[in-house]
This record gives sequence, C-alpha cells and structure tokens, in this order.
Amino acid sequence: MSDKNEAARVGKLSKFKTLNPSDKRRYVTDLLFNNAMFIIIAIAIIYIAIRVPAFLSLSSVVNIISLTAARMPIALGIAGAIVLTGTDISAGRCVGLTACVAASLLQITGYSKKMFPDLDPLPLWSVLLIVMAIGAVVGLVNGFFVAKFKLHPFIVTLSTQLILFGSVLMYLMIGSNNGQTLSGLDSSYTDFVRGTLFKIGTVAVPNYVLYSAILTAIIWVIWNKTEFGKNMFAVGSNEEAANVSGVNVFRTIILVFVLAGIMYGITGFIEGARIASCSANTGLNYESDAIAACVIGGVSFVGGTGKISGIVTGVFLLQIIFVGLNFLSVSANMLYIIKGLIILVACAIDMRKYLARK
Amino acid sequence: MSENNVILKMDNIEKVFPGVKALDNVSLKVKAGTVHALMGENGAGKSTLMKCLFGVYRKDAGKIFLFNKEVDFKNSAEALSGGIAMVHQELNQALKRNVMDNMWLGRFPKVSKWLPFTSEKKMQEQTREIFKDLGLNIDPKTVMSRLSVSQRQMVEIAKAISYDAKIIVFDEPTSSLNEKEVEHLFRIIDMLKKRGCGIIYISHKMEEILRISDEVTVMRDGKHIATKPAKELTMNEIIKLMVGRELTNRYPEKAHSIGDVLLEVDNLSSVYNNLNGVSFKAREGEILGIAGLDGSGRTELLENLFGLSTRKSGTIFLRGKQISNKNPRDSIKNGFALLTEERRATGIFGILSIMENTVVSSLKSVKKGPFISKRKSRENTDWCINSLRIKTPSREVKIRNLSGGNQQKVILGRWLLTDPTVLLLDESTRGIDVGAKYEIYQLILNLAAKGKTVIMVSSEMPELLGVCDRILVMSGGKLAGQVDAKTATQEDIMTLAAKYV
Amino acid sequence: MKKIFSCLLVTVLMALSFAGCSRGGEGEVAVFYFTYSDAYISNVRSALDKYLDEADIDYNDYDANGNQSSQTDQIDVAVSKGATGLIVNVVDTGSNDAASTIVEKARAADIPLVFFNRSVDESVVSSYEKCVFVGTDYELAGHMQGEMIGKYLLENYDAVDINKDGKISYVLFKGQEGNMEAIARTKYAVEDCNALLNEAGKPKLQFYDEANVNSYLVDQDGLWSASSATNYMSTILAQFSESNKNMVELVIANNDEMALGAVSALEAAGYNKKGSKTIPVFGVDATDAAKEAIKNGKMAGTIKQDAEAMADVISKLMTNLRNNEEKFKGINKENIIGSWRVNIPYAAYTKEQ
Repeated sequence: MSDKNEAARVGKLSKFKTLNPSDKRRYVTDLLFNNAMFIIIAIAIIYIAIRVPAFLSLSSVVNIISLTAARMPIALGIAGAIVLTGTDISAGRCVGLTACVAASLLQITGYSKKMFPDLDPLPLWSVLLIVMAIGAVVGLVNGFFVAKFKLHPFIVTLSTQLILFGSVLMYLMIGSNNGQTLSGLDSSYTDFVRGTLFKIGTVAVPNYVLYSAILTAIIWVIWNKTEFGKNMFAVGSNEEAANVSGVNVFRTIILVFVLAGIMYGITGFIEGARIASCSANTGLNYESDAIAACVIGGVSFVGGTGKISGIVTGVFLLQIIFVGLNFLSVSANMLYIIKGLIILVACAIDMRKYLARK
Repeated sequence: MSENNVILKMDNIEKVFPGVKALDNVSLKVKAGTVHALMGENGAGKSTLMKCLFGVYRKDAGKIFLFNKEVDFKNSAEALSGGIAMVHQELNQALKRNVMDNMWLGRFPKVSKWLPFTSEKKMQEQTREIFKDLGLNIDPKTVMSRLSVSQRQMVEIAKAISYDAKIIVFDEPTSSLNEKEVEHLFRIIDMLKKRGCGIIYISHKMEEILRISDEVTVMRDGKHIATKPAKELTMNEIIKLMVGRELTNRYPEKAHSIGDVLLEVDNLSSVYNNLNGVSFKAREGEILGIAGLDGSGRTELLENLFGLSTRKSGTIFLRGKQISNKNPRDSIKNGFALLTEERRATGIFGILSIMENTVVSSLKSVKKGPFISKRKSRENTDWCINSLRIKTPSREVKIRNLSGGNQQKVILGRWLLTDPTVLLLDESTRGIDVGAKYEIYQLILNLAAKGKTVIMVSSEMPELLGVCDRILVMSGGKLAGQVDAKTATQEDIMTLAAKYV
Repeated sequence: MKKIFSCLLVTVLMALSFAGCSRGGEGEVAVFYFTYSDAYISNVRSALDKYLDEADIDYNDYDANGNQSSQTDQIDVAVSKGATGLIVNVVDTGSNDAASTIVEKARAADIPLVFFNRSVDESVVSSYEKCVFVGTDYELAGHMQGEMIGKYLLENYDAVDINKDGKISYVLFKGQEGNMEAIARTKYAVEDCNALLNEAGKPKLQFYDEANVNSYLVDQDGLWSASSATNYMSTILAQFSESNKNMVELVIANNDEMALGAVSALEAAGYNKKGSKTIPVFGVDATDAAKEAIKNGKMAGTIKQDAEAMADVISKLMTNLRNNEEKFKGINKENIIGSWRVNIPYAAYTKEQ
C-alpha cells in the first residue's frame, strides 16, 4: 500500500511541474489546507515555546500528554455517536455519576464521612466492572431510543443527561453523605490510577496514560478490524444501504451507544481518582470538549467518516490550547475567545476537505 | 418447460399501504436459467413486489415458495442468506466508504475462525477476483463517492452477484449505464443464466427487454396483467399492456419553428472538473441535445452554464448581451432553469408537499406584501397539476410518495413557473415509464413552440434523435462535434462520442 | 410497539407518583436553592429540612441549578400555588435586580421572605418589612482566610519558603467571575495576609506567574470545581517546580472543592502525602472532605461556615414572621445587624481544632 502511495506521490510531483501557475498555487493551498491541523499545532507549539521555553520541558510535555490521556476515553466514546451522524450530550453527566459511584465504593475503611460506613473498599476490578455496567446501561437506553423510535440522539441524550443529573444528586444524598463531596479514597484506587507508570528522570508518568493508550488501541481495532466497526461506518454513511445489505442496523446503533457508555464509565473511574474529590459537578460539560475534539479531528457530523488518529489529534490540540494559553498567562476572558475561534477555524478547515467542489 | 423447473413462485401476494392497495393478488413464477422481465408503468407495483420478496416490506397476504419450500423473509439479511440478491433501483451505497467495504457489508470476511477480526486482505483479494470474473476495472480501495454513477452501478451489480444467489433481481440496472456498459451487463446476465440462476429484470427500456428476456410479466395498478414468452411479444403489444391503451408513437410530432440565435457560448471551461473550451450557439425555439458517454462532460457543461460549478474561462451571451451566470441565483434571474440529473438528491424536497415543491423557485411571484399568499400558491400549483397532467390525489401530498415521472413533472412545473427563456434538462426522463416519457417529450416540444430554447442531456440516443433538432456530442470534456437530428444515426453519435476517449 | 409504549407509560406514572410523595400543597413554605450540586448548600439544605420539620412547617425545596431565570420562574409557580413564605438562596448576586424582583413578588402576595447565604443588598431587604437576610459577612470569609494564612506563614515561614528566597510564591484559584463572594475572597485573602506579613517585616506574597496580571486563575465554567483546580495545578507543576527553584509554595482556593482538586494534583506530583513535603493549601467552607483532609495533613486550613446555625436562624425567622411575632425573637443579639440582617459567624478551621 505504501509503495503505491509512493508511486502516486512521485507521479503527482512530476504532474505538478507540468501544471500552469494558477493550478500550482491551488495545489499548494490545497496541500496546506488539507494538513492545516498539523500546521496549526506546529505553529502553536513553536510560538508558545519561543515565548515560554519551559513549555517544551519534559515535565510540561508529560503534563500535556497526561491531560490528553484523561480526556481520551470520553472522546473515543462520543466519536462513535458522531460517526452515526448523532451526538451524545449525556456523556459528561454519565462520567459524573460513574465517578461518584466509583469513589463511594472505594473510600478508606474508617474514613469518618464514608458514604457506606460498613463497606470495606471493594476489589478494584469489581468496581471497574460496576461503573462499566452503569455506563453500558446508560448507553443501552440512549441507543434503544435512537434505534427503535428513530429519535435524534440530541433529544434522547438531552433527556438522559437530565435523568443522570437527578440520579447523581440522589446518589450523593445516600446515607449520611448529605450531598457532600466524596473524598478519602483508598490508596489502592488512587495508586492504580495516578500512580507512577515509569519515571523519565524525575518526571513521573501516571498510570492512566497507559490505560488511555490501551483503550485507544482497543477502539482502533474495533473501528477498523471488526465487523461491528465496519457496520458502524456503513450505518453512519447510509443507513438504508446497510439495511438492504443485511446489516442489523438496530443492533449496530445500540452497540455504538453501549460502547460509548462503557467508555464514559471508564472515564468516570479514572476521573474519580484523578480529581479525588467527586461532587455533582464532576463531569459537567466534559462532552462539549470531547465533541469539539472529535470534530476538530475530522469525525464529521455528516456521518460515516472519522479516524482514531484524528480524535487523538483533536484532544491533543485542545489540551495544547489550554496549557499553552496558561503558560502565556493569557487572561481568562481572552481564553474563551481564543478557544472558540480555534475550534471554529479548525472545524471549518477540516470540513473544507469534504466539501465537494464544483 | 415443466413446473419443476420453477425455482421461485410468488402466489397471490397482497400489500396495502395506508390508502392504497399497492399489490392486489399478484403471482409470479421464475424458472431456472431464464430472464423474467417485470414491466409496468411507474407505480404499477413492480418494486413493491420485489421488496416484499426481499423482506424490506412485509406482505399482507399470499405465499412465496423458493425451491418448492415456503419462505417468509423478515429482513434483507434473511433473504440474502436464503439465496435472493437484489440490485436496488436507488443506489443504496455507503458513499464515504471504499468499494470493498461496500461489497462485503453485512458479511465481512474474518481472518480466521479463531480470530474474528475483519480481514482487509481477504476482502481485497475476493473483490479483485469477482471484478476480474466480471471484467470490471475498479480499484477495490477507491472511496465510493469518487466513482462515477455507472461505476457505482456496476459495483452494485457485482455485489449482488457475489452472494451466489439463485434468484437475482435487477431493478432498473441500466438507467445510468452507457451502451457499452449495458452490453457488458448483458454478458454478465448470460453467464448467470448458464449457471442456472433465475433472473428478474425490471426495466423501462423496451429494446433491452425484448433482447434479453425469456418471459415477460406486465403489471398495471398493482395487478397482474399478463405473463407471456418474450418471443411472442412486440414493443407495441407490451406498451399496450402496460398503459392499457394504444400508444402508436414513442415521440410526439414536432410543430415548432426555429428563430434567431438566443444563446451564444464561447470557450467555456471549468476549474474543478473536466470541461474544456466548449463553444456553441442555440436558437430561439430550438431543442438542442447533448450526447456523450458518462463522464464526457455533458452534465458539467450544464452545471457550468448554470453557475453551479466554478468557471475557469468562457463567455456567455444572451440575445447578444454578455451575462455572467456566476451562481444559480444569477442564472435564474437571467432566465435560465436547470433540471438536475439526480432527481432524488438534488431535485425534490422529499418531505415537502407538491405545492411547496412547486412554488419554491418562484416565491417572489406568489408574495402578497411581505408574506407568501397561500391562495396564489394554490393557483400556481393547480395550474401545474392540470397543465402537466400530474397524477396526484391532492396538492398536499408529499412529493416522495409520487412516482418518478410525476416527481419529474412537478420539478418541470417548478421551473416553468419562473418563466425561463433557456431550459437546461439533465436526464429528464431517466427512470420514467413510456407513458410519462411521452408526456414529458410533448411538454418539451410545447415549450420550444413557444420560442423557448431547450438544452437537453440524455444517455438515450433514440430519445435525442426523436426529440431534438440538433445534437452536440461531448467527448472527454470537449465538444467532439454536432449532428443534425433528422439525418444522423446512433452510429454517427457513437463515433463522435469516442473521439477523445 | 404497543407493549413498549405501555411500559413507558407505566414508568412515567411511577415517576410521577414518586414525585407526588414530596410534601407540599397549600400553606407551605417554599425554599429556593441556588444549586443542589454545591456541597455547602447541600449541608444547609439537609439542616434546614430538619429544622423546618421540627418547627412543623410544611415546605417544598426547589433547585435553580445555577440559573436565575429558572429560579424566578419557580418562585412564580410557588407563589401562585399559595406559598405562605419564601426562603431564597438567590442565584444572581451581581446586581440588585433579581433580588428586588423577588421582593416585589413577596410583597404582592404579602408573605414573608428570607434571603440566605448569597448576599443581597441592604436597600433591597429594607424595602419590605417582612424581609430579612441571613448570611455571613461575605467579605469576612476572605478576611479570615487571609488572617489564617498570615498566621500560618509567620509560624512556619522558613518551612514554607522552599527555595529560601525569602518570598512566598502562591497560586490562587477563583471560583467564578462576577461573583461577590469570589471577588471578596480573592481580594482579602491576599491583602489581609500581606498586612500581617508586613507587620512582621516580611515581604508580600508573590503570585507564582508574574506575567499574569489578574493574579488568580478562574474556573472557566464558573463551577468552583475540583477538576478545574486539578488541571490548573498539574499544568503549573509542569513549569514551576523545586528543581527550577520556582516552586509554588502556597495554594489559596475560594472553596474547599478547588482546594481538594489542587491537593490531588500535588499528590500526583509527590507532595502532600505522608512522608513527603507539604505545600499548604487553604480553602473555605469546611466541607466534610476538607475537614478530613486537614486531619490527614493534606490541607492546612479552611473557614467554617456553620450550616446548622444558618438553618436554625432561617427556621426561627420564618416561624416568627409567619406568626406575626417580633422577627428577631430568640436570636443571638450579637449577630443582628440593624433591622435587616442576621450574620452567622465564621470560624477558622485548622488541624488544632
């Protein structure tokens, strides 16, 4: 495959020389626009690094990677819904609920404000399974209503978002907890998530970077190497075509949302220990960043297109903006504006690729 | 031919849609190794019958036997695994995915029993094998949307064949194929016949039907009219069965006269697609045909003229005055109208009513102050329904519920309301039955008689020769030449069409 | 299909019947909370529920979820339902408009109105004789936090000054832009601490990033959330560290959740754990989690807002006003300001307590 591309490239190059000047200019601008994401990232990194050299220090790079890793799973989940031309705005609240559940089941024995005073911290794997199951159920509900009643996912997930928020509030009132922040987490839990994976010099890389990488790899395989993944893209691209080709569209849609829900559950599990202080606000608005990251990375709302590498790039770009603007000491007011502009421009440039020009 | 040769038997099938009896007691028998043509006007129930067979619709009554065993497919997956494959009329493809993803959709090959991952390698190999068998030259890794409509159609056909089905349904397979490709398809069908497959072939093109089919079943208004061996039928007999009355001529009489030069096009080229230096003139009251193979730049020429694609060079004069036509709005103002090629994708607003579809391009003329006048809209719509003889229960019906011919008439009506001076028609009779085609030809001729200029693109050469005054032939994005429709033959056109290939 | 619909219908009916179980009806007191998500407000809510139960007053709780317009709508609904008293934790504190609109609604219905927690202007409260404000002197929290930090620093100056440059480098997490409490806490925590340091001849606190003209970092979602502080803190620690000799030596947060969020990032970087260096972190609210963190040495201190005492005073005021008795009956005279306000005292909360 690479041979062929290479041949094509060489072919293109010799063809390029024969083009007239206006076509040449067009070719170059097309090339620039088609790789705009990487160019933006490169320019941003170079600019920030010149202004604040510490931006490229080892610890800063590890921090950016860690922040990217923390936001990866939720974006991977939402991306599936976007490939189906849908969206999922219940994601953030689902992360909040699962984070609170995970935290409440893993508080230290003897912690005076424990939600379940008589409960020893459960084994980690069982809690992980519980939160994944909660996420899966949320996804099942979302998927069922989307697939069965052909409701737009925006409406369905808007509803589940509200239901989830109510559930979080009720959950936090259990026992003597009284709506309080959940804290006092067992060290087995926090170490599992935040503990040191390995050290580069004195800079520690947290464990969740590894988990995030594993999840990314798993989703990559699911998207590219399984029947379900291929069906998902087909349904997103043309539901009717998938149907007449014998694809179970109903099951595919439900599975996409269930998979997304499981990813939110895992995000909740990681977030619970990373923040180590879970309240009803945890996870709020996470979906907006995740959706922005997906769309920046080329997972188009048109449906049927998207790559894992694009999502990683999108999440990464958003974190670079966040960290970089902090390094540049940009005031918070400007931060909103810059972030908004970058998302807008990045998406516009990306969509340009898909516009059929006449 | 004995009964045990029959592989598919459909008995007394009924299907009711809200308000319509779409199928009324229809029966059909298909024998092994034969082509069974299914004919009828649009809305006669051919596609509905096939969708009942394929499990897309549930039949309300009747029985289906496959190899003398009763079957009742609940969805397409069951039908496919039961040995029935179908080439759908609408190109149902996932355009953003590549060719092999589309080929194997619903049955992706796995790496092995123990490793249930889809195998790109197998997909590619098997696709190449099938394409080689069928003599197709398409790269399995091309993204579907990059292919031409006819290539997509061939992929769809290849996919249906690759199921190894015993019954293969072709629903209008040739509507977007050129003559060469049609020949190719017929060779494939011959091969399938030799393998013992039963083929159901739906088409409006008489010549095709008489050439390849062994038996013909005609349907009208959801009822079975007749089943006869093809050898015993002539074109006129079929038409009579289909429309229920005699239709002596396939093309109406011409009664229009040609006036002065109205439109002059000089050196028209496109930026993004294949169109290079096309110049021509068209006169008042003239019907100018544009012939050429698929991808020869026919559609591109119309789109460029209408300002739908980016113009690289070229000037347009209307009555000697230069006009720019830089975008569709501008062109409409200058008195141009374009009926687009893909009716479903770029012509109709499916969920809107006939009325809304009709008045959408001429809203200014139905305004009363700043508001749209419902009364004027109704009047205009009724005028269209009456003068174009659109068959519809009311003007409030959603346009997607009409047959293709009637949809096309609505769109034609939409443009007539803008009172255009130059009418650009792109495949205006594609997928439309003979009766409706005749009416559309008549409409075109009437317009010409009123002094309007009509420029029509068509893949059907008999149609161009029968309706037009003069025919421009495109080849490889250039104008290959022009012929006089009165004297030219199909061979003349084909020679020109191959000039720059 | 029908089956599914009937299942749905049953579910909805069940949900409705649950909702119907909540107390309420005519003659009830309506209580409006700024948001259920806030830990401190949750404390007030459960305490107030308890006191109102004890006083045998029917009541109904509403959650504005941080949105003033939904709170105003809720008040309209409650008044039209026949509420006999309003207890309001107003959302919008940036101007008097929201509060005066609520006063007008109470006056029109001639029912008592108690504002609490989030500040309301004296002119608004005094404009209606059946209106009282129960709050904390919102500026006081900032003052007390500043004083607590100042005292802590003077006692532990050398230990806190990690790079031994004689100055303390700090970071401050602001909960929200445009919120009176956040503004006051941000301002006075630093000012009062500087005043104490000045008296003792020490240099002023220095914001860790000199280029930041605001000298604070704000939660961009305005949620006073732990995760915002975690993300900021880990980003800061990537640039400012002991090895670079510019480590942040003090963390001040507008509330405890943000303080805990910062602690989480510090822990991940190897601080504030048993047997490691501790960067002092200060919050406000004294939530249970914060108290626990202080006990374990992860946080240095917080300011306690007494939720129980606040709920007690609100319940007493409402009882007095509904019974047309003297409105401050049974309330500690020291805390009464004029005829419009009752202050609930703050208290510093550190490990010694």
